[in-house]
Amino acid sequence: MRIAEHGMSANTTKAPAIGPRVSESFFDAQRRYRRATWRLSLASVLAATVMGIPIALTITPLLYAAGLIIAEIVNIWMPLPQSFWRLSNELAHYGLITFGWITGNQTANPKVLLVGGAVLLLPGALLSVALWLGINSLFRRAGVGGALLALNARDPNPSELSELRLSDVVQEMAIAAGLPAPRIMLIDSAASNAAAIGTSPHDARIVITRGMLDRLNRDELEGALAHLVASIGNGDLKIAFRVASVFETFGLLVALINSPFGPRSRRTLWRIVRYGLRAKRTGDAGAPEAAAVADLLSGGANLDTDDIDNLFDATYKKRSVFRSIRNFLLFPIFFTNVAIKLSLWFFSLSLLEPCMALLWRTRVYLADAAAVQLTRNPDGLAEALRKLNSERAPVPGGAWAAHLFLVNPAGSDRMNDPKEEAAGRQMLAKMWAASQQNEGADSPAPSRANSPLLIQEVLATGRAAVAGDHKALARMAAFRQAAATALGKSPDELPTVEDMAAAQHGDKAAIQRLLRFSQKMNANQPIKGDANRVSRESGTGFAGFHPSLKRRLKRLDRMGAHVKIEATGRKTWIVIAALALLLGPFALAGVALLLLLIAIMMMSSVAFLAVWMAFIHQIFVLFLHH
Amino acid sequence: MSNSLIGIAAVAAALLVWLVAVFNSLVVLRARVRDAWSDIDVQLKRRHDLIPNLVAAVEGYMAHERSTLEAVTRARAQAVALANGTVAGRARAESALSGALAKFVAVAEQYPQLRAVESVQLLQEQLTSTENRIAFARQFYNDEVMKFNTAQAVFPRNLVAGILGFSPATMFAAQDGEREIAKVSV
Repeated sequence: MRIAEHGMSANTTKAPAIGPRVSESFFDAQRRYRRATWRLSLASVLAATVMGIPIALTITPLLYAAGLIIAEIVNIWMPLPQSFWRLSNELAHYGLITFGWITGNQTANPKVLLVGGAVLLLPGALLSVALWLGINSLFRRAGVGGALLALNARDPNPSELSELRLSDVVQEMAIAAGLPAPRIMLIDSAASNAAAIGTSPHDARIVITRGMLDRLNRDELEGALAHLVASIGNGDLKIAFRVASVFETFGLLVALINSPFGPRSRRTLWRIVRYGLRAKRTGDAGAPEAAAVADLLSGGANLDTDDIDNLFDATYKKRSVFRSIRNFLLFPIFFTNVAIKLSLWFFSLSLLEPCMALLWRTRVYLADAAAVQLTRNPDGLAEALRKLNSERAPVPGGAWAAHLFLVNPAGSDRMNDPKEEAAGRQMLAKMWAASQQNEGADSPAPSRANSPLLIQEVLATGRAAVAGDHKALARMAAFRQAAATALGKSPDELPTVEDMAAAQHGDKAAIQRLLRFSQKMNANQPIKGDANRVSRESGTGFAGFHPSLKRRLKRLDRMGAHVKIEATGRKTWIVIAALALLLGPFALAGVALLLLLIAIMMMSSVAFLAVWMAFIHQIFVLFLHH
Repeated sequence: MSNSLIGIAAVAAALLVWLVAVFNSLVVLRARVRDAWSDIDVQLKRRHDLIPNLVAAVEGYMAHERSTLEAVTRARAQAVALANGTVAGRARAESALSGALAKFVAVAEQYPQLRAVESVQLLQEQLTSTENRIAFARQFYNDEVMKFNTAQAVFPRNLVAGILGFSPATMFAAQDGEREIAKVSV
């Protein structure tokens, strides 16, 4: 016997309940989605492999070249045996034959081809796999969503009715799922959203905003939390981690290739090394740093922040002999770099990301079905999703966390949108730098605008100020002043650190003030997604990590929810089909051209590398026989 | 060694491995069923501990409903007394307690001044949550029992499950005397 919600029965958006209309039980639905997960995981692995081939082909010559150079240097002091040189010669031979067979010049027998294939692909593939394993072990303790841990979140206050209700509902759902109850982190924001973060069911947390507590009634809150608890129980945190780690591996690869050229890549690598050495001291303190590093890595595959271009621009400004010589010597790596970046960009966008997004969306459907199993009430979840989706506002937290939330916070549907991030960070950097000018001369050097280190610094100062540090308090007050001038408001409209500290202790007036501020901030920003346009969602699900509301409601409807859904009109399908027919050939031609470009880049990189190696070899020979 | 002997030995070994696997998986499922059963007890005990607070909090406001409050207290005492007794006895006592609480909640709805008192609201929320927790614990138990029973009943296993010492568990059925509380609009 369950005591249903008192006093909240009227709900005009629901269709009249005529009784059970279940056409698919939630057990069947869960079975279906679990099978789909296997298929999609396989597809993702295949996609990653396909993506890995051009990358391996590009990196391998580089690795061989590096190996040969090291061998030549070692040979000066300690002569290497003749068999070594013969072996390397043979390997090069195999590689050449296979390469010739690929380009269609020569015929070869299969055994030679096999060895040649291994020679060509293995070093690059081994390096990628090693990097992936390294990233997995490095970030595994931190889990996903670490950026959200750095926010000003607090525990729910048991003497406040809606927060007590929140704790109770989480406990109830944990009991229904047979899991330990996740810790709750409450954010005083008027946005309505929630996410599950952490590494495993024993270590999971639920991040939820105050706005969501205010908007949903008990049944809807139960449905939403059931979804989160179910996704924790289903192991989605580990899957989210693996998905993110694949992208981070490629970012690390790019950073490695970039490092001879760019100070930014070197700084990224240094931060990873530092984080790795300090990895023993993890837990809550380590997670934000982990998230920051992960952010850096995932942004590394982004073509905009390109060290190479900066380099070649800079050479025209600062002419120094050393730089010119270095650029000349490293020239072949430039082509390798461009080839890798092109293949990454193309394959990731067209192959890997859609696969991963499809996999993630299936997990979301699975969590929905499991939530219905937990609550035995699909209406609650359906209403909650509808309410949350009609008012999407940005929730602070790295872009990487966006896919962990129940509904997509306003913004693009891709995993990592660089432009929005860049704009927000520029503003933040300006305000932070302005606040520093009011300080004394002993302040440390300001962080660069594009570095996530900046956000960590702001948040750390904020936390210290809430804890009572005087210098931090002064800095935050100056920051508030600068923010007021930047945003064109009076300082009284912005929250103070005292308010945030009071909210931590449960002061209701302070919480109300923070909520009001948050509401005003959201009112100024354009909200994407709109209650009347539920049938045509942004991010129609092709490359988005969030399934569209309509699809989720349709599946909930099959499990017995009473929701009214608009069917996609016939006209829309005709338009889509026409567009596909018209643009299809052009798209195919574009793809073929891009693949050709990648192949050309790879071949030129190999050619340049060969010339370069011959040149260096001659230098060594001259040097030795001098 | 003749080939057929080796063949028979291999088949027997495979059968043994399979039997061990089936046994282990059924043992795990049965352990989960027992865990789930004791979890229900945890929630029932939590309810026992919560009721005195609730009665004390509302006593002042519901002076005319002494009989309802006394019924709740008595039902609770009965349930605590039978806490270590037979399963059937406990089930009856707990469902009687649920019935008494349901009547109490229905009566408390008629006292609008109660709704305004914050401490009573919090206690009411705790009461709601307690009932829900008991219900969810039972639901979880039933789900685990279903998994256990299904695992025993599927084809190759149903032949050996009895021999290995497993029998289907009983689900928790709703008792008489437990009624749905109707939604009351404000």
